[in-house]
Amino acid sequence: MSTAGGLRIRDLRIEYSSGGYVVRPIDALDLDVESGQLVLLLGASGCGKTTLLSALAAILKPAGGSIRFDDVEVSQLSGDALTQYRRHRVGIVFQAFNLVPSLTALENVAAPMWAGGTSGREARRRSAELLERVGLSDRVKHRPGDLSGGQQQRVAIARALAYEPPLLLADEPTAHLDYVQVDGVLRLLREVASPGRVVVVATHDERMIPLADRVVELSPRVDRESRPPERRELDPGDVLFAQGEPGDLVYTVDDGEIELVRQLSDGGEEFVAGVKAGGYFGELAPLFGLRRSATARARVHTVVTGYTPHDFRQLVGVDRLAALISGS
Amino acid sequence: MTLLLSGASSSLSNANHRIVRLFGTDAWVVAAGSTGPFTTASVIPAGLANEVAVEPGVARAEPVVLFRSTIHEKSVRDVNVVGYRPGGIMAPRVVRGRALRGRGETLADSALGLRVGERVVANGHRLRVVGLVSRVRFNFGVPTLLMPVEDAQALAFAGQPLATAFITEGVPRTVPDGLHLVTDQQAISDLARVAKSGNQSIAFINALLWIVAAGIIGSMVYLSALERVRDFAVLKATGASSRALLVGLALQAVVLSFAGAIAAAVLAQPLAASFPFPVEIPSGAYLRLLVIAVVVGTLASVAGLRRAVGVDPALAFSGA
Repeated sequence: MSTAGGLRIRDLRIEYSSGGYVVRPIDALDLDVESGQLVLLLGASGCGKTTLLSALAAILKPAGGSIRFDDVEVSQLSGDALTQYRRHRVGIVFQAFNLVPSLTALENVAAPMWAGGTSGREARRRSAELLERVGLSDRVKHRPGDLSGGQQQRVAIARALAYEPPLLLADEPTAHLDYVQVDGVLRLLREVASPGRVVVVATHDERMIPLADRVVELSPRVDRESRPPERRELDPGDVLFAQGEPGDLVYTVDDGEIELVRQLSDGGEEFVAGVKAGGYFGELAPLFGLRRSATARARVHTVVTGYTPHDFRQLVGVDRLAALISGS
Repeated sequence: MTLLLSGASSSLSNANHRIVRLFGTDAWVVAAGSTGPFTTASVIPAGLANEVAVEPGVARAEPVVLFRSTIHEKSVRDVNVVGYRPGGIMAPRVVRGRALRGRGETLADSALGLRVGERVVANGHRLRVVGLVSRVRFNFGVPTLLMPVEDAQALAFAGQPLATAFITEGVPRTVPDGLHLVTDQQAISDLARVAKSGNQSIAFINALLWIVAAGIIGSMVYLSALERVRDFAVLKATGASSRALLVGLALQAVVLSFAGAIAAAVLAQPLAASFPFPVEIPSGAYLRLLVIAVVVGTLASVAGLRRAVGVDPALAFSGA
């Protein structure tokens, strides 16, 4: 096993195009993880957990910032160095196990080694050893269809450990498991997070929190408390909030006009709506812990007031809020 | 199927060589303007053979009669009729029974299914089968009846002393007026010309079959690649190089093609027996089949290979 110097993420920005719009699930992320730590990336669906894992695995190229693992600048890898990094430095446990149904447990573990040029005999020997380590020495000849979800996940973990990588990534490892099977998988993940290795687990399952050395919340926190309203004055062209930012306040327009625009993949903008005095905007992101889906910009000199979701609910009433959200 | 068609094509060519060699002649003498003894029905007086026989370089000259006819068995069957002089230049190898001794006798090609001693009616004339010959077929596999030249003249020319060609022992330096000298090679080329369109048709069907085979192999590899997109994504995400995937999938296409070719080679011989056309598969055709199958299989799988190599490893992260 290589000596891990840890994971250093600086000002990371990941964006991609979806339906013609720019989506930026990760923006300005800083993170330091030391060797031997198990980090939990926690958040709701769509908050960017899997996207971050893809970037750590050098499958997705960040739009900005840096990911450094040991002495490797991951975001700059290409060609053979990229293949070597994926093969030897990272192990991935996928959400849906992603085992090849026609191969036995042993063959599934051996497959990356065969593809990496390891001799057949050595790959088999190593695979048997790994399956024994994850407690499946009596299931080496079973095909995925003959294994329980927990057993399949353990085969997937054994496969991810094929080259003893110093970085292990697990995407929703408990998503398809019942509570009995979860127990074994959690113990195994904790066990492999030993000195010399960093384990990063993406999940929305808060039961995993006690397992982690560090927890990184990727979903914006929903502020459930009351706090004094924030009054802001904006000059024409001033941006109140940008698309992709976490949102904590719902705004009402006291004077002037706010335009909501959406950033397009081709670099242009799409006008979404204009909000004049007496109107409100930006309620969905703080209410549901989402990122802003549009940019809010003052068209003229504008005065707005920001409320926490709690206060906004009080302001408009619960029934009225439901109607506002549904658009009726 | 391509092997059988290659065998059929090869059989046409072999039959031409065999039938020309059967006569044991050093040269053919035919009517002037005739392109060859097997393809043009120009007749010449049989007595002219004596004039050819005295030409310089010639030890013997004999008349032969070649024409197409039918025999009436349970059904009407086409036959080639060859009339020759028994005990002369031409001495066909008899595989069962005995050689011709006199009139009223015939040697039948074994493909006719006649037995020694059986009687057969050709053009209203009754002949007794005294022997069988093997693989004496031409004109696209039509079997042959061999008989004394006088009987052939009786069948074709109402007994008139005519011939369609002379065969010689020794090569005449000149031939009498109204006659024309043809070598064995010219006779073979003349026969091949007739079979040319047949051979072209076979080659065309063969090419179509290879295209179909390529389509089948290509589709199988492509579908297999589509079916395993997630597997390829996982392998790429875990460090498999595109080259490793390419080699693996190409190898699958090669193995598939090779296995198909081996199965074809094994099945070709039993199938050839029931093929409605003489099939003689040359040994080189088996090797050619393997090589072509591997090349076609590999080329056909290009689309599947491109699909597999182009898979985005990020797909491995998508949910179940």
